[in-house]
Amino acid sequence: MTTLALALAYAGFTGLCLAMERHHEQVFGTRRVPPMRGSLFRGAGWLLLVISLLVSVLGAGPVLGILLWAGLLTAAALLLALLLAFTPRAAAAVALSPFPVALLLML
Amino acid sequence: MKTGFRQSMAWLHTWSGLLAGWILFAVFLTGTASYFRPEITAWMRSEAYRAGPPTPSAQPMVDALARMAPGGFTLLLPDGRETLGNAYWRESGAGRRGFREAILDPATGELVAGRETRGGEFFFRLHFQLHYMSPLWGRWIVSFCAMMMLVAIISGIVTHKRIFADFFTFRPRKGQRSWIDAHAAVATLALPYHAMITFTGLVTLMLMLMPWGMQVAYPGDPRGFSNEVFGRAAAGRPSGRPAPLVPVDPLLAEASRIWGGAPAGRIAVSHPGDAAARVEVLRGPEGRLSNQRDAVIFDGVTGALIAREGMTSGAAATHGTMYGLHLGRFAGPVLRALFFLSALAGTAMVGTGLVLWAVKERQAAAKAGRIGFGLGLVEVLNLATIAGLPAAMAAFLCLNRLLPAGLAGRADWEVNGFFMVWGTLLLHAALRLGGRRGWVEQFALAGLLGLGLPVLNALTSPWHLGVTLPAGEWRLAGLDLIVAALGALLGGAAILLARRQDLPARKVRKMAHGAAPAVPPTMRHGQAAE
Repeated sequence: MTTLALALAYAGFTGLCLAMERHHEQVFGTRRVPPMRGSLFRGAGWLLLVISLLVSVLGAGPVLGILLWAGLLTAAALLLALLLAFTPRAAAAVALSPFPVALLLML
Repeated sequence: MKTGFRQSMAWLHTWSGLLAGWILFAVFLTGTASYFRPEITAWMRSEAYRAGPPTPSAQPMVDALARMAPGGFTLLLPDGRETLGNAYWRESGAGRRGFREAILDPATGELVAGRETRGGEFFFRLHFQLHYMSPLWGRWIVSFCAMMMLVAIISGIVTHKRIFADFFTFRPRKGQRSWIDAHAAVATLALPYHAMITFTGLVTLMLMLMPWGMQVAYPGDPRGFSNEVFGRAAAGRPSGRPAPLVPVDPLLAEASRIWGGAPAGRIAVSHPGDAAARVEVLRGPEGRLSNQRDAVIFDGVTGALIAREGMTSGAAATHGTMYGLHLGRFAGPVLRALFFLSALAGTAMVGTGLVLWAVKERQAAAKAGRIGFGLGLVEVLNLATIAGLPAAMAAFLCLNRLLPAGLAGRADWEVNGFFMVWGTLLLHAALRLGGRRGWVEQFALAGLLGLGLPVLNALTSPWHLGVTLPAGEWRLAGLDLIVAALGALLGGAAILLARRQDLPARKVRKMAHGAAPAVPPTMRHGQAAE
């Protein structure tokens, strides 16, 4: 559950970050973010962060879950900022990690 | 004077951060290590380590302590992290000097013969009361710096006007730009943690910092205050009639049942063997944030439940929760790892802030053509703190393995050795003023000590990685692995710095020729961060 919450937090932050011109350029090569794509990224980003909170709270209870989520947000954002600086495309690719993690959890 | 709100906040941020920075770095780093206080202690006294799950019965230890401390004692019960029983008591009639401690084997109740060491307690105490001075002075100094930290956090948020636009931004290999990015990233990405830990840290010392309310309501009677606030009844007097102490394990089970299954953390027995004996069972950190006192009191002869103490008022509960949050003892392995990561980010925040000041001043100095005393002092202190302290901490762990077990005052010599290494590195920093060489050398030393620690451990202890990893003894293996990883990081920094030796020279030359510097040196933090 914790791994899934972490993967979701990372994906959520990646969504928010790809809606920003500077990071959109790093990953897609064009500075201008198409308006539809921008809203999509931003919306999906916030949604994923909320789901990550829900997963944390479901896994660890309301009190520890919120603390856990705050810690996971920090970890995810630090990782994203670091990857983005050195390998932006890989940073974006890692955002797909919730899928394999969720699959593993279902097995 | 400074014009505008943001500029004055930038000024405040720069100076509150710089002046308290070196102590704050030490407070952050030793505090970070203190998340693993029991593990560090276990590692440093590994010959006494007991593998496996904690023994279910506290009876052997209580029996042994009743003989050693007839006046009463407190026993910290072993749990998932601490495998031994730690007890303390006050020898009757001996006043302040009568404080006694003992470490017991949970299975037999016998005293554990391990080397004399402060263990993780040293970092923990250093974290909030420094060393070589009265603890009270140390606490005031640390509190003052913590207040500066709070000021720096808030003024830093005001100063950094592009928090969201720069949220994920780190631009490496761009000189001062990179330092600003790194400083802002480790600060904002772990901001909830930094604010929480600084504020709750001040709360832990609040009765020392702001005692006035207490003094007015309880004049001359601080004990009366704490008894009432923390719900503690005064201990009774012995009756003089002997009576056997009730078996304690059923009492522990009963208390745990009252707490809905949460285990007891400690047990305090007063007057064992007397008809007036009392047994207090105190709840452990598991399953709640708060470290507020929550005790179940039993009659020490009949075992009858007398009262449940603690859990008094909303204010006490708030205090307990903040205190508990600061200590983080409730955190399981994952949450603890996340706290540790955020705390490292906090350490990096202070460190990058200190370096940033020096980098900016150095550009100004390069333009002016001379290095002032202030910049020199900051650079020496930066080097001795940021690279020197981790090296000294690693040396402290190495000394634990190298000092002979029978040395008189051994625990003190570990500590003295730590400060000797640190002091030497300060001297070294002063001798290497103004170049990269000092940084390369001290980072390399820290890296060698960190990476060498598991090797040294393998040569001197039965519990080395070759044993602990296959056996899954993470309580001990964790220290070897974390210290080695941090050592690799610092060693890597040394190698990177050594390789880029030529870079600053080129930059300084470029600036001397009048090419536009990245940021005009007259600009202060706020403007530069835009």
